[in-house]
Amino acid sequence: MKKKFPVISLLTLTAIVILGLACSPMMTKDPLYMDLAHCNEAPGKEFLFGTDEMGRDIFSMIWYGGRISLTVGFLAALISTMLAVLVGSVSGCASARIDGVLMRLTELILSVPGLLLTVSLQAVFGRADVYSLSVVIGLTGWMGMAKVVRTEVVQLGNTDFVLAAKCLGGRFFHVLFRHLAPNLFPSVLFMAVMHVRNAIVAEAALSFMGLGLPVEVVSWGSMLSLAERALFSHAWWIIVIPGMFLTGTLLCLTNLGEYMRGSANKRHSNLG
Amino acid sequence: MTNRHLIKMVNNIGKFLISVLVLSVLVFTLSRLAPGDPLYAYYGERVEKMSVEEQDQARERLGLQAPLFTQYVRWLQRAVHGDFGISYQYKTDVKEVIAAGIVNTLLLGGLGFVLIFALALFLGLFCAWREDRLADRVVCRIGTVTSCIPEFWLSLLLLLIFSVWLDWLPSSGAYAAGGGGSLPDRAAHLVLPLSVVVLGHLWYYAFQVRNRLLEEVRADYVLLARMKGLSGRRVLYRHCLRGALPSYLSMMAIALPHILGGTYVVETVFSYPGIGKLAYESARYQDYNLLMVVSLLTGTLVILCNLTARLVNERIDPRMGVRSVSAGGEVRRL
Repeated sequence: MKKKFPVISLLTLTAIVILGLACSPMMTKDPLYMDLAHCNEAPGKEFLFGTDEMGRDIFSMIWYGGRISLTVGFLAALISTMLAVLVGSVSGCASARIDGVLMRLTELILSVPGLLLTVSLQAVFGRADVYSLSVVIGLTGWMGMAKVVRTEVVQLGNTDFVLAAKCLGGRFFHVLFRHLAPNLFPSVLFMAVMHVRNAIVAEAALSFMGLGLPVEVVSWGSMLSLAERALFSHAWWIIVIPGMFLTGTLLCLTNLGEYMRGSANKRHSNLG
Repeated sequence: MTNRHLIKMVNNIGKFLISVLVLSVLVFTLSRLAPGDPLYAYYGERVEKMSVEEQDQARERLGLQAPLFTQYVRWLQRAVHGDFGISYQYKTDVKEVIAAGIVNTLLLGGLGFVLIFALALFLGLFCAWREDRLADRVVCRIGTVTSCIPEFWLSLLLLLIFSVWLDWLPSSGAYAAGGGGSLPDRAAHLVLPLSVVVLGHLWYYAFQVRNRLLEEVRADYVLLARMKGLSGRRVLYRHCLRGALPSYLSMMAIALPHILGGTYVVETVFSYPGIGKLAYESARYQDYNLLMVVSLLTGTLVILCNLTARLVNERIDPRMGVRSVSAGGEVRRL
């Protein structure tokens, strides 16, 4: 079966991106302004999505926060994808010894608890802001993908068409750009989109636990860091609304990624 | 056991020990990179009232003044004898602190692990059996949505619904305060965190089982078995499932540290006293000794499970061993 293009996901995602980018002239309220007369107010006419416990308007925070969450996601995914492709393809092409060293190293970093890695890396950068957090998330998330890229490069390197290209006198870079890169591209693209998704989750989870962006830098994660107190005051909108936007964005990204991976099963089932 | 097996075993054990040692160096250095002050973990707010000399004395007493390398060697010497020092925050032997947490985490993560893989196998088989029909598509869609919900938000939602609004289930801890932790009490505290752990991971693995089975279903031996007159169901359960078993088992091995070590978000939200919560606290408040042991425990688990996955694969499918040899040796690529 051929996969349908996820139109709704793409449209939703575009809408969130555009509204996030264009929010400053459109919003009537400053997301950082603390309207102390209206704390913990339920969604209504004036505050469409309600206010949080500091009296900030959640509706405008959503768009400003989305901008930051998506920025962190894309930046971090860019960093980790580049690192993963670099390490993976070098490891897959290089001699057995370099390959062994690189993969040992990757596995070693993979076995350090992610939380510790994140906390100490963040400590090196000092106080967390959008860019340092992106770098930290990017630097801690490339290992799994590097292993996959390596495996694919090795498998591609062993195929007959690469052998044929080499026998016909194709040089290293010719084989690399004409045969390896095009075949690697779809799966790398899929993994890159999944990394955007993972990075957005990582930002949200870290900020939520107080290890990422501080409360005054509005992102979907830092908005949710107020959630535990909101539980006690029954302010459901502080918890539910940012989370719905977060989950929706992740879902759209997943659908897009799955589409890019292409349909794996082209043959018909023998079972039926 | 032949000589070759013995050499291989010694080789594997050696690699394992070296990995653990390197890991300990790495964790030791990383934990000390953080600029926070471990004295805070030990004395709390009182640090601010201490004079500089008193602070230096306290550091000296905790062995934090020496150069990093000396500190590491000292730690290693004690660790080899089974002495991991005291936790700065809890002021007791690290082993006791860990022992208390490990039971809770094993209960949460272990139960979650069993549930996840039992359900993943079931869902994977079901979806593969009904491939591309309505049931498969509905399950896939629901699965994709659940896999997109971040664990911490799911925890918050469940807390909001089941303990704040409905007031059915307790919101934090592993057992009621003061109560001895009777079975129904513990179960009640476990329901919400366990659901989050299971829901958070389930579809990822179920989807992999499904896709692996769909590959298997397209093999030629399936056609042969069908032509011999076996029912489709029997072929799926008896033949395809067996073919998918190696990947299922190695997936389980790789998933184990992931699921056990990944409970820290859930444990923190639910204030569930397990290893994950200890890891979070010790990393955040520079409780060095505790952090070392927690990190080494989870790291060792990762290394062990990766090794197991490889060995299981080689055992079940002898071609794997050959392939990994050839990938590193004589058959060269590029």
